[in-house]
Amino acid sequence: MLLQLKNVFKWVNSGGQRVFLLKDINLTVEEGEFISVMGPSGSGKSTLLNVIGMLDSFDEGEYRFLDEPVHTLKEKHRANLYKQYIGFVFQSYHLLDDLTVQENLEMPLLYKKVGSSERKSLVADTLDRFNIVGKKDLFPAQLSGGQQQLVGVARALISSPKLVLADEPTGNLNSKQGEEIMELFKQLNNEGVTIIQVTHSEKNATYGSRIINLLDGRKI
Amino acid sequence: MIHNHIKIAWRNLKKQPFFTFLNTFGLAIGMAGCLLISLYIHDELSYDKMFADADRIHRVNNNIKFGGDERLFAVTPAPMAEALKNDFSEIELVTRFRTRGSALVRKADDLANVKEEQTTYVDASFFEMFGIKMLVGDAGKALTDPNTLVLTKTAAEKHFALANAVGQNLVLNNEENYTVVGVIQDFPQNSFLRDYTIFESMAGLEDASVVNWGSNNYQTFIKLIPKVKAADIQLQLRGFLGKYVIPGVQQFMPGVTEEQFKAAGNHLIFSTIPLTDIHLYSHMVAEISANNDIQSVYILSFIAIFLLLLASVNFMNLSTAYSLKRAKEVGVRKSLGSNKMELVRQFLMESGLISFLSLVLALVLAVVALPFFNTLADKDISIPFANPIFLMVLLVSVIILGLFSGSYPAFFMTRFKPVKVLKGGGGSGVGGSGIRNSLVVFQFAISVFLIVSTLVVYQQLKYIQGKDLGYSKDQILILNDVYTAGDKVTSLKDRIKQLGAVKNVTLSSFFPTPSSRSDSTFSPENGNTSQENAVSMQTWGVDYDYISTLNLELVAGRDFDRIYGSDSTAIIVNEKAVRVMELSPQEALGMQYTPDFDSENPTYYTIIGVLRDFHIASLKEDIDAVSLHLGERAYAMAIKIVAGNFANTIKDIEGVWNTIVPGEPFDYYFMEDAFNDTYVSEQRLGNIFVIFTVLSLLIACLGLFGLAAFNAEKRTKEIGIRKVLGASVGQISIKLTLDFLKLVGIAIIIAMPVGWYAMAKWLEDFSYRIDIPWWIFVLAAFLAVLISVFTVGFQSVKAAIVNPVKSLRTE
Repeated sequence: MLLQLKNVFKWVNSGGQRVFLLKDINLTVEEGEFISVMGPSGSGKSTLLNVIGMLDSFDEGEYRFLDEPVHTLKEKHRANLYKQYIGFVFQSYHLLDDLTVQENLEMPLLYKKVGSSERKSLVADTLDRFNIVGKKDLFPAQLSGGQQQLVGVARALISSPKLVLADEPTGNLNSKQGEEIMELFKQLNNEGVTIIQVTHSEKNATYGSRIINLLDGRKI
Repeated sequence: MIHNHIKIAWRNLKKQPFFTFLNTFGLAIGMAGCLLISLYIHDELSYDKMFADADRIHRVNNNIKFGGDERLFAVTPAPMAEALKNDFSEIELVTRFRTRGSALVRKADDLANVKEEQTTYVDASFFEMFGIKMLVGDAGKALTDPNTLVLTKTAAEKHFALANAVGQNLVLNNEENYTVVGVIQDFPQNSFLRDYTIFESMAGLEDASVVNWGSNNYQTFIKLIPKVKAADIQLQLRGFLGKYVIPGVQQFMPGVTEEQFKAAGNHLIFSTIPLTDIHLYSHMVAEISANNDIQSVYILSFIAIFLLLLASVNFMNLSTAYSLKRAKEVGVRKSLGSNKMELVRQFLMESGLISFLSLVLALVLAVVALPFFNTLADKDISIPFANPIFLMVLLVSVIILGLFSGSYPAFFMTRFKPVKVLKGGGGSGVGGSGIRNSLVVFQFAISVFLIVSTLVVYQQLKYIQGKDLGYSKDQILILNDVYTAGDKVTSLKDRIKQLGAVKNVTLSSFFPTPSSRSDSTFSPENGNTSQENAVSMQTWGVDYDYISTLNLELVAGRDFDRIYGSDSTAIIVNEKAVRVMELSPQEALGMQYTPDFDSENPTYYTIIGVLRDFHIASLKEDIDAVSLHLGERAYAMAIKIVAGNFANTIKDIEGVWNTIVPGEPFDYYFMEDAFNDTYVSEQRLGNIFVIFTVLSLLIACLGLFGLAAFNAEKRTKEIGIRKVLGASVGQISIKLTLDFLKLVGIAIIIAMPVGWYAMAKWLEDFSYRIDIPWWIFVLAAFLAVLISVFTVGFQSVKAAIVNPVKSLRTE
């Protein structure tokens, strides 16, 4: 078992009323799964992903990640945990505009304090693996959307996470580019990486092994 | 449309109170500082311009090199005036002053004296020369008779009502009887006669009509006829050396010719300086009033311009930075059909509004700060709100400043491409950070430069004040006007000496403070008076206790002693004098010199002792040759007292004074204070530097603070990404802060050599000066870094702790 959410609630107070973003979520994810989270806008898909990614807190319930009780962990410990095991892919890529492809890839390793030579070889391997060696010195603005997302995925994977969280990874791409990214996810999943993606597209959801539907913060 | 512009501008400013505050406050500080300095400079430049025909009045200067010593004198020989009148058709009028310092004044039938600090003899042409009107009395006839005087309103009202002033009898210094022939208005603070209150008739001064080209005691002013330039008379004026001075010298150095005089390396050059230049450009011996230096006006002008520039730069920086926030607004406006000029006008309206707000705030700040500034600068400046020209200048400057500061941001913003800014969401892809960074570098470079300057000025002042002067100035009280005791002066001295807290007492008119001056040219005894062996020395009359009271140190020979009757013709000189004589201290002992080589029967003085060099002037100047001899009527008394309760000791001394010379003003000062007064202008410069350094740092910090806030906001996305990828709050804070520190670092590198160079130049003015110590640069750099870390750090940490979920949410 990779992670487990038990009776997780998250709310905000708005005008004296409690608005639930997540309501009584129970979810167990095994290693090697490929899960698609679906639901209409505002149903809490992204919130759930952020909670799983430890970027966002929740108000009630329990969250275990690799048997560590995340809800009781200190900030620093939690940061170490996600640095170690989780990679993120965003809809709008979120590459740093001022850095080259190579430097963007290198950044997570810097924050994990990976040594210089190891960093170089990991970056070289990743460039190779994703077939973007020729682009390593380009800036994000010089790449197409599909290529940028490719770099985004490569960056998420460079520190060999156990779990990749992708928030509408193909939302800004055309269908052909989207398909390529999904194929990439499929291939990664086959190699043993656990993937949770948020998507609006029925077609993309079929790449996954399991679909979770959300409505108004509740699992249905 | 303009109404709409103002409305929108006002709303925009209200919408961003923080930005508006930073901008307005920064600009207001700059304006207020600049305003105060401008008023100061205006005052400095206005000196002596109030006199009618001021542009035609000049003073005759005298540059003498003789006996190995070059001196610039503001005084000329007495017969100069007559010669000028006779020889020059270009000269309409000549007036002489002979200043005589303070005087004790009383009405003939009063007992108590009132002390007037500055008095002078003047020629009767004084009134016509300077266009001075009488309040009472007849300016046409005044001061033509001996023993008449004219006084200022303030001085007159101490003794009698203005209406019956004319015809009153006044006694000066208990022995000179004068009749009042007129009262004039007090002289304004910005005139060279500001401290003078009594003007005595030159007609009563015998020396004034003696044809003696050998002594210089008269400040001589000329008024040229209209359209004549001062340059036209210089050549003929130089000819006075051959025409008048050399024939005078021949009386005691027979056979001397102008050629020989010049061949011996001597010179004597008469020249003129315009009246209105005296205050800022003249630094000669025997100035009528203390003058300022044009250098300080330059320095202050620079500071004023810097301040305004800093504030303006701040404005541009913050405006362009914040404009990125408004990129969308520009895009929308453009897509709605606004053209470039329309937008430029709108943004200029905003900057105009801000500069106007700043002006209001600046005036408030200036009014509040004015009393402090006046104390600091020793001025009596007021803000001329009622003067329409001042208000016009203010308004025009503000409009220019608003346009200047607003132009770059306005054109910068209107360049935004609507499609790009509307799609791109915010200012990504909009440049300008390069210029912003250079502006920050510029601001900090100026701040660092000012820090370095301040530290150097203060180090130099500390050095001067701590320097061994060759005499002890501590705990020495100088009692003025002791001559009023007449014959009782010795008993005054003895009675004071008997006081418990008094260690030693000496009588003299001369002390090692810059005001004491009396020099003569000495010739050796062997009779061959020539230009080569003449020595120009201070000649100070002292008593037996002088050297011991002031702790002067003898390097050869002995002090004056009562057991030697011959000491009345003995002199003690300092090492400098011996050096000029080209002798060693030991060789000098026993040598004989005379100051009156032109007389039939000269008195020769024997050197009995040589003193270690001591400073008699400001440390800006080299040490002078000094000779001490016994005797002469003493003007003052130096009292060395033990440390402890000064107030009580002074009370005791005053008690003695009142029993021996009742009714005379008890006037004293501490030697230490007189010494410090010498450096008033440096001290003032130091204080002004500190204040404006702090102001410029404040402005720079406001700018940096605003920029850091903006930068953190602009980089929220990047910060979010970095955090998601595992960066800690600490790492991000440090990164953001370091980005700014790099700029500060560049500023430091630029400012250091400039600061070093400028201060080395400033120090050249001092004969005794520090080497600029290296740690000043380290300290300045450290301060700049420290201040910027504080300014930026807060913003960086604030930005770094934002939850990335918020910043990365996709719209």
